[in-house]
Formats: sequence, structure tokens, C-alpha cells
Amino acid sequence: MTIIWGGLALGAVYALVAIGYNIVFISSKTFNFAQAQLMMVGTFVAYTGLVTLRLPVAVVVLLATAAVTLVAAVEERLAVRPVEDPETVLVTTLGAGVLINGLTQVVWGGQPLAVPFFGGDGVLELLGGRVYPVEIALVAVAVALVVLFGWFARRSVTGLTLLAMAEDREAAMLRGVDVRRLAFGAFAASGALAGLLGVFVGPKTFAVATLGASLALKGFVVMAIGGFGSMPGTLVGGMVVGLAEALAARHLGSEFAAISVFAVLIAILLVRPSGLFVRTRERLV
Amino acid sequence: MRRRFMAAAAAAASAAALLAGCGSGPEGGAGGPYRVLMTAGLSAQGTLAGNAATSVLAVKAGVAAVNEAGGVAGREVKLTVVDDEGNPTTALTNIRKAIASDRPDVVINAGPSPVTAATLPVLGQNEILSFNIAPTADSADPKKNPLNFDLTGNPEDYIRGFIPYLREKGYKSAGIVHGSTASGVTFAEQMEPALEKAGITVAGNEEYDTAALDMTPQLQALKSRNPDVLIMDGYGAPVGHLLKGVEKLGWDVPVVGNNSVSATSLVSTPPPGGVLGTAQTENLVMQVYKSTVHDPDDTAVNDVVAAMTGLGKIESTLIMATNYDALPLIAAAAADVGRSDDPKALAEALEKPEVQKTAEVVIIGGYNFKPGSHGPNLTAEDFDFVAPSPVKNGQFT
Repeated sequence: MTIIWGGLALGAVYALVAIGYNIVFISSKTFNFAQAQLMMVGTFVAYTGLVTLRLPVAVVVLLATAAVTLVAAVEERLAVRPVEDPETVLVTTLGAGVLINGLTQVVWGGQPLAVPFFGGDGVLELLGGRVYPVEIALVAVAVALVVLFGWFARRSVTGLTLLAMAEDREAAMLRGVDVRRLAFGAFAASGALAGLLGVFVGPKTFAVATLGASLALKGFVVMAIGGFGSMPGTLVGGMVVGLAEALAARHLGSEFAAISVFAVLIAILLVRPSGLFVRTRERLV
Repeated sequence: MRRRFMAAAAAAASAAALLAGCGSGPEGGAGGPYRVLMTAGLSAQGTLAGNAATSVLAVKAGVAAVNEAGGVAGREVKLTVVDDEGNPTTALTNIRKAIASDRPDVVINAGPSPVTAATLPVLGQNEILSFNIAPTADSADPKKNPLNFDLTGNPEDYIRGFIPYLREKGYKSAGIVHGSTASGVTFAEQMEPALEKAGITVAGNEEYDTAALDMTPQLQALKSRNPDVLIMDGYGAPVGHLLKGVEKLGWDVPVVGNNSVSATSLVSTPPPGGVLGTAQTENLVMQVYKSTVHDPDDTAVNDVVAAMTGLGKIESTLIMATNYDALPLIAAAAADVGRSDDPKALAEALEKPEVQKTAEVVIIGGYNFKPGSHGPNLTAEDFDFVAPSPVKNGQFT
């Protein structure tokens, strides 16, 4: 059960990255390949707030949210807005990710930094397994966020507008939706989320300049498994990837961990080419 | 007539000698400063930058010490440091440029291993003496790299240090957990037969992906085989994940980390920024060079540390400072040869035990270069096994 808990917690981290990808994808049909790096910045700001400045957790959460929102907003202005073509945005956001990697290293150095968890660092016995409190929190936060975004998308005007944009951007514009402004807002919101999550992700992963690279690809795989644009898909995809990785490493050896994840991805895409939670639409042309 | 011919011949010979002196062959610049080119990843990714900065400080201190003692065969040592970003291509370009413009007498490399692998062939072709602290599979092989010398132990050296310690502790079985890097894999591959040879059963040998965020599965696989001791290879965040994994499993096992574990700042930093003094480091000891542990009576090491701190902040442990020893080794070899401009003669001199003994090396107690191996061939006496403690100026306190 310890391995299951570990796999679920790892899957939750990947799912949180994928949720960030999805927020941008829904609003502008493109990917922010620097999303994992934004989450990495969140862990570093959490470290600075909790360890260096010894601030209260609530203040650190606000600080990290504000800081990473700002970074995301700057990224949108410099790497996304000037680019018209969504495919080109893949390259420019990838570049932004590399830049963020370098800047974090300059500011915080290359060594891993431990981020304390406000819920305690002691190991707990739960359902026959051993688990850190932060691992339970990560699973709970991932589930809560998916529920929250589901509610937001269906019950709020902004959420419905975002869905309309995702469906047909031009039609949304014709209906008077300021798509640029909303896309910017969604980009900044994905940054805010990445910052807010720093106090949860940092205690599991450490704040380290290589974290972005570790998370980026797995987050993308989670999104592909769940279906691009599907929030429940990120949760299921995250759990699938986390558990496949943990169980393969335990029973087959670590060299099979990544292979197993991609084998699962291929198997799912063969059966459901658009992912588990997105239906393929056929069009007559 | 004959006198005129002799004068003309003498003039021609003088001109030829003068022109030869202006050339860029190995003999060029023998009267000028002894040129040391150091390539280091000062702006590299991750922990490499701090390691490179420490290595540069060590070489600067070594240059100052040798110059103070009269230089290399009377020539003042002139150091040029170039930033290779930890990138083999950049390092190679920098070295080619240096060879074309101001040919160095020796090249010192701060690593990582791909930089060593990329640069050694060019240095060999140009017959330039070189030292590195990031060995490759063949960097210490004189048949392939006759002018190169490794200043840091290879896995064989470290394992030579491990075995007596494990025997002394009376461990009968061991589990190995190692990273997926080339050095981690080599460490495990060589550790396994060495343990078997020493009569210690290998209960399991598990690899982890260095980009992974949880190594509990590998540790649980090892725990199920109940070894007496866990031998750990790792560097950076993976060390933190491994120690967390051991704690999470509630596994009360002695953990012996290799040199790279000791270079991870997490283990020498108290909470909340690190894990020093927590349950995670309770059972941990790490293999280190003797100079990496502060000894108030070791004047030679303390002087080098003082010289390095006078030049800048020591960002890594002294494991990264073995490049210091390159300078006294060159000076001793040049004193033996009587000149400093013949790299082949210097390399041969470096293989002599008497030259190695006279070299005033500090970071490692002594180097044992041989005609068949240009590795340091360290012995168990060169290492200590220490519990984690705070690091000050590159040394465990």
C-alpha cells in the first residue's frame, strides 16, 4: 500500500501540472510548455517564504501566487501575445521555460532545497501503508481542484465563456467576448495556480532547478491520456501515470518505469485517440 | 671566402633558430610564463556551476602557491580560466581557440565527464599535458591518453575504500541503490563483484532514474531482501528522495553513501532547509576524502582552504578541489625533468613514485600514477567515513 500511496501522490503532482496545461489549452488552444517551470518557481518562492523569511504559511501562499502570476503574465506578454500562430507558441513557451530554468538557478543555486510542509513531516500509517502528510494533501488538492474547475466551468459566466472560446473562438468573438483578455486572464490564472501549489509540491519534490524538466513531459502524457481540455481526465491520467510508474519500478525495475508509462499511453490512444475523456468528433467535408 | 661562407651559414642558422622560436610547437614560449588553461562550467546548469567555481578557486590557490615557490622550472605560472557552460562543444571550441592563439602548456578541466571525453582527443593530438577531475572510462589509460592524468578517484578507487569499512563493521550482506547516470551505473557494476570477492553477499542492486521524484519502490524491493547495509549512490535531489524513502518505509538500516552523496548540501543543512539531524540522516555515513573533514592540526589543508576563501566563497565541498594538486604535481615533474616545455617528459616524470612523493599535494594525500594507469590509484587510507555535519568552507566540521 505504501507504493500505491506514493504512486497516487506522484500522479497528483503530474495531474496538477496537467491542470495548468489545460487552463491555457481551453482558453487559447495552445500549450504553455513552461507550466512545469512556473510550478518550479512556486516551490522556490515557497522555500524563500517559509525557510529564508520564516513567514506564515498564508502569507507565503499569497506571495507565491502573486510572484508566479507575475512571471506568467510577463511570459504571456513576451512569448505568447506577439506570436499569432499557436504552433509557434509551443516553441516560444519552450524557450520561456529554458529561460526560467536558468533564472531560478541564478537566484536560488543548483542544490535541492527542502520545503517544509505546514501539515507536518512525520510519516503516517494509513490503510496499511506508510505515507507523508503532504502526499495525502497532494491527492486531496488535485481532486478538489478538478471538482472546483468542473463547477466553475458549468456554473460561472467566465467558465461558460471559456468553454465557448474553446469550442469556437471566432464565434465567441462575434458574440462580443474579449478573447485576448480572457486568454491573458487564463494564462495568469495558470500561473497563480502554479504559485499557490508551491507549498504543496515543494515538500514532495524539493525546490530544485531541474524540477521543471522532470515534470513537463509527464504532465503532457497525463493530459494526452485524459484528453486535451478535460479536467477529470487530468486526474485519471495522473493516477494512471503515477501508479504505472511506481508499480513498474517496484516489480519490473526502474528501467521499465518510463517504458510502462508510455506503453499505457500508447494502449489508451489506440483505443481512444483523443484520450479517455474527450470524444472524437467526425466531420463531413 | 671560406670565412664569408661561415658567417653567412651562422647568420642563416641564427635566423632559422629565431624563426623556430616564433613558432607554436611544443617548444614555443619556453622562456615565457607557464600557461595553464582551465576550462570550467561556471555558468552550467544545476549544481555544476558551484562545483566549477570551487574547482577554479582551488586552481587559483594552487597557481599562487607554486608561483610563490618559484614557479614551474623557474617559469611563472599564468592561469587563464574559460567558461565552458559545462558544455563539451563549448569547451572544445575554447580549447581549439586557445591552441590557435596562445597555446597552453597544460589544460585543467573541472568536468563534467562529457567535457573530458570531448576534449581529450584534441589535447592528445596537440601533445598538451592535461589534468581532470571528471574521469571517463579511458581518461586514465596511458595507451589512449598518454598525456592526461585523473585527479579524482574512479569507481575502483572508491570501492577500494568501501570494502575495508564494510568488513570492519561486520556486514555480511549489502543492498546497492544507484542512479542511472554513467558514473552511478559503473559504481554499481564494479561494487557488486568487489563485495562478492570480499565475502559480502549482494542482496540486491537497484537502479533509479535520476529525474524520478520517488525512489520508494526500489528501496522497498531492497528492503524485502533484508540486507545488513544499504550502499547508496546519488547526488542532488535524488539523495533527498532516497533518504525520504528509507524513512517512509520505516527501514532501520545503516546507509553508506558514496562521495557524491556527501557533496549534496541537503545532508549538511539542518531543517527547515535540509535534513541534517533528522531521522533521515540518523543512520547515514558518507565516504569522503580525508581533506574534506576539518582537522585543526592539518596545516597544509587549512592553508589551502584559507587561500581559497581569500579568493572567493567555496560553494561545494573540497571533493571538487583536487585540481589544486595539479600545480604541485607539474612543478615536481618539471623539477625532475629540469625543464617545463616537454609534455612527454613531464608525463613520464609524473609516473615516477619519487616525483609523486616530492610533489606538495594537499587535497589528496598522494597520487599513484603508474606507466599503466594515469588514475590516482587511491588507497583506503585516502578516505574517511563520516556522519553528516554542517559544511564550512568546503569541509565537514
